[in-house]
Amino acid sequence: MNKLILKLALISLVVFFSSCGGDSDPGYEFMPNMYRSPSLETYGENTINGMNAQLPVEGTIARGHLLTFNYDGTLEGYLAAGNTTVNPIQDNKKTRTEGKALYGMFCEHCHGETGTGDGTIKHAIYSAVPHYNDEKLLRRAGVPMNELKPGHMFHAITYGLNAMGPHASQVTEEERWLIVNYVQQELQNSGK
Amino acid sequence: MFLRLKNINLRPKIEYTFNMIRIHNFKSCILLIAVFFTFSFQSLAQPDGAQIFKANCTACHTIGGGRLIGPDLAGVTKKRKADWLKQWINSSSDFIASGDADAIAIYEEYNKVAMTSFYFSDEDMEALLGYLETPPVEEVKVAVATDATQDEGMKSSTKMMIVALVLLILVFLLTSIKNSLKESLGQETKTVSETVIAQTNAFLANNINKLFVGLFIMIVVLKFVFDTLMGIGVTTSYQPEQPITFSHKIHAGDNSIDCNYCHSSARSSKTSGIPSANVCMNCHTNITSGTATGTAEIQKIYDAIGYDPETRTYIEGYEQKPIEWIKVHNLPDLAYFNHSQHVTVGGLECQQCHGNMEEKTVGQVATMQELNNISFNKENGIEFEHATLTMGFCVDCHRQSEVKMDGNDYYTSMHEKMKEKYAGEKITVEKMGGLECGKCHY
Repeated sequence: MNKLILKLALISLVVFFSSCGGDSDPGYEFMPNMYRSPSLETYGENTINGMNAQLPVEGTIARGHLLTFNYDGTLEGYLAAGNTTVNPIQDNKKTRTEGKALYGMFCEHCHGETGTGDGTIKHAIYSAVPHYNDEKLLRRAGVPMNELKPGHMFHAITYGLNAMGPHASQVTEEERWLIVNYVQQELQNSGK
Repeated sequence: MFLRLKNINLRPKIEYTFNMIRIHNFKSCILLIAVFFTFSFQSLAQPDGAQIFKANCTACHTIGGGRLIGPDLAGVTKKRKADWLKQWINSSSDFIASGDADAIAIYEEYNKVAMTSFYFSDEDMEALLGYLETPPVEEVKVAVATDATQDEGMKSSTKMMIVALVLLILVFLLTSIKNSLKESLGQETKTVSETVIAQTNAFLANNINKLFVGLFIMIVVLKFVFDTLMGIGVTTSYQPEQPITFSHKIHAGDNSIDCNYCHSSARSSKTSGIPSANVCMNCHTNITSGTATGTAEIQKIYDAIGYDPETRTYIEGYEQKPIEWIKVHNLPDLAYFNHSQHVTVGGLECQQCHGNMEEKTVGQVATMQELNNISFNKENGIEFEHATLTMGFCVDCHRQSEVKMDGNDYYTSMHEKMKEKYAGEKITVEKMGGLECGKCHY
């Protein structure tokens, strides 16, 4: 009887200690200065203006980011972009492949793989995504979806349209043109 | 007795019903067929207002859910006449051009956003207006915050605690039983601690027992020290609590949004990119309530940037505050790692290092076992033998992963030379210098 009690007491102790430790702790670090360095790290904090993630200084242009698309986010800007801009991307196999990859990353979950508007997002608000082949309904541009010009599409990606948000911060100008090229060549008026 | 009674009572009723059916068998058959056909033809011929609304209007309008791009359409058929609505829906731009004051007022109120011209057929229009008049009352779903990990959240640690507690209770229970028994016999009683001490002393009186206990304690201590030292700098399974319980499972799993959509700089930069709130707002301008946590977590985005989900507008002059995410994968400064080098140049899949994030909620350092089960790693013959995010982990992959040489015109001549030098061998990252110290430590 006494031995049984001793054994039980021992086992309960072992079990109790084995319950320590969890996943919310990163554990020990060798030289923590190397992990939490005094130099400014991406997304870190600083004592000058709070966070390290800052907008570019006003009036400066990051290398390779000169904006050539100078239309504002209004309806006039939208119509003007559709009337005047041409896609600077040369259409070939390589640019289409690149455009397709980008379309898969940034558009497909709403517009669907084939551009029919049947993406993987099933929320009610995103259930009326238009078909790129739609030739019936007159859209904001005054023409149906199948007659949209590259400028219209580029403007919509840049500033958003209806329930679609602006994607300018995620895709560069060149990438946007690649997407427009892919959509126009492969999805708009597909099957014709 | 009761059962019998019940049986007697029931029987005539059943027979009566059967008789009814038998009598009207022929007639009712015809009637049924007739009813069936009428209904089925009706459903074919009559357009479904709900369907039309869902397919054409939901991108900009709700019924009773507040304004989106356009106004909330709850009760719109009471506010406007049917003719007015028909003209507006058919071609709002023509209607505005015709000079209708109400139409112009709405156009101005909603930032001069022109509505698509629909030109519905008369039947479709009637069905749509009928639907707008009597929209189905939506059941208010009470969102229950269920978290997949919280179910398991009764983690092994908590379970172990409970087991330990039960065992301890058992110890005290047995002692008290023994004591009460002894008391009734008039014998001397002992407390738990007295018993434990006496037993331990008796056990340790034996020299061999002493030796074994000593050895056992030494091994336990050494193992503890060894494990602690080996665990330094290993963050496997680390999953800190984040300011917003963002669920990767709902976004990347259930809705299949590509990782690059939010982590958009992984293709082109050193860091994979923590999406700024404007990326969240691409969808959450409109989606104000989540499937798992209701409005609670999404509201935190609005609090950070100052957005009013009721009026769907940004609050002017709002002092925005950053969402302070906690970094999960943290490499020491002595090692350099670049996402674009791996994602764009190497063509790796995110899952090869981060595991199945599309099945988890908040970010976590994947375990080695999980990564070894990832299909991309299996296909490429990569098997990790060292804990995630340690140097051994990087080296494991650099030794095993084959360089993709197709479709990379920039290095054509270099690749040709390598193919010649390592004829017949698998050309790994190591073979092209991927294990040189200076590649990562400088």
